[in-house]
Amino acid sequence: MKKILNNPNDYVDEMLQGLIAAHPEYYRLHGDSGKVIARAEPGKSGKVGVISGGGSGHLPVFTGYVGTGLLDACAIGDVFASPSAEQIADTIRAADQGAGVLRLYGNYGGDLMNFDMAGDLVEFEDIKCTTVVLADDVASASFEEREKRRGVAGMVYAFKIAGAAAEAGHNLEAVTKVAQKAADACHSIGVALSSCTVPQAGKPTFDIGEDEMEMGMGIHGEPGVWRGKLRQADEIADEMLDRLLADKPLVSGDRISFMVNSLGATPPEELYILFRNVKKRFEELNVQIVMPLVGRYATSMEMSGASFTLIKLDDELESHLKEPADCAFWKV
Amino acid sequence: MSITKATMQAGIKRLAMAMEHDFEMLNTIDGALGDGDLGVTMTRGMRLVAQASDQLPDDLGMALLACAQAFTKSSGSSYGTLMATGLMAMAKEVKGQTSIDISQISPLVALARDAMMKRGKAELGGKTVLDSLDALCQATKGINDPDELAKAAVNSVQQALDDMRDKPATIGRARIFAQKSIGMDDPGMVAMQQIIIALADR
Repeated sequence: MKKILNNPNDYVDEMLQGLIAAHPEYYRLHGDSGKVIARAEPGKSGKVGVISGGGSGHLPVFTGYVGTGLLDACAIGDVFASPSAEQIADTIRAADQGAGVLRLYGNYGGDLMNFDMAGDLVEFEDIKCTTVVLADDVASASFEEREKRRGVAGMVYAFKIAGAAAEAGHNLEAVTKVAQKAADACHSIGVALSSCTVPQAGKPTFDIGEDEMEMGMGIHGEPGVWRGKLRQADEIADEMLDRLLADKPLVSGDRISFMVNSLGATPPEELYILFRNVKKRFEELNVQIVMPLVGRYATSMEMSGASFTLIKLDDELESHLKEPADCAFWKV
Repeated sequence: MSITKATMQAGIKRLAMAMEHDFEMLNTIDGALGDGDLGVTMTRGMRLVAQASDQLPDDLGMALLACAQAFTKSSGSSYGTLMATGLMAMAKEVKGQTSIDISQISPLVALARDAMMKRGKAELGGKTVLDSLDALCQATKGINDPDELAKAAVNSVQQALDDMRDKPATIGRARIFAQKSIGMDDPGMVAMQQIIIALADR
């Protein structure tokens, strides 16, 4: 393992301490678990709370997106491990301004159980909770079984849209509805060129040849659809786009937003090489890309590779996407 | 014969010791199919339960709730959360009781099993801890003799392992390794076997 760290067991705690020390205007620790991050300035009274959470190792997901017009609070577990139900319950308490709390997170077994359990724990405190689960990775299950898909980078769009709706003063039901609409509109796929290493495991999560790539790999190294020789950028982008468009056919005049995301180690230069082809393909289809996102938005430690996320917009989603938002990693 | 706070405290002590002992074994079998932290989950959880043991309330519902909370605090692992879910289901049922007749054990296990099925979105026959609990529930039904109960309980979780060994895993991370899992014991079922052996003091 070649990582900059002190003790692998302190990895997450020390990361959070540094994050808050660097950006005290955005983040603060809530409660005594050391794993719950809330906005430095809480949302106004009567605003619906929007929370998320999951394992560490994906910055800016999840913690980074705590901010105005985004998340109110977030529970963070060890690297790639769910936070505990008690930590999530604390997160719900931190985000509650009397109007209820939306739990918005990725479709992983451990997270589902703990977010549900946390809901049971705060039920006695009269905090009303709703749930929207992101399941946007088209490589992880067929369209017919899309509720089984893993949640990946599409959650950044869902955070943004749900956060904007909550900031605009909509009630819990309305915020939940638009968050579900955003979640359903997201389609993602990833490609990995090298593995990540979980600090406490100390060795790479999977082995992959120097000249190989894996199409459709998940953000924790879950198996993808095929593994083979590394291809050229345009070929990779074409296949990823073909898979997304097979899942979500678009017609001339459609409006979308599109994210080309680094899984960690892949530099922005290579993301722009990919985006160049993406832009060309959508121009041919006469599909307009609104607010393209190119950069590190949802990572998998030091994995090299990239993911694409397509979100088909309507007027409501587009207006929420464009409303102001502010956190240490992203400003709109 | 009934279970009181004192019986429960003695059981917690044996169980906490067993989980310290099984730490490496549970991590190893979990590592073959999952993320290899089942020993960590159980040991950490039982350490917190043991810490709370001296101050347990006489109300066994509240006592079980305290045990459940120890698991929700100690980790976010699925197995720990399922343990907490099962304990909470039993806690709700016996709230206000300072003793539990041993004939109540089978229906209490059924409550835990059903709550865990719901939370884990899993079914019986899927080679999970649910199958161990179902076997335990069936085997202990109608038994009033403590010695007979202990024997039936220990046999039932062994039988569940034997019945499921040659089936593929159907849920969780182990599902990815469904073929590889044939012939291997499910780590969660093994943990439940060790729990039952410790509680039955065998």
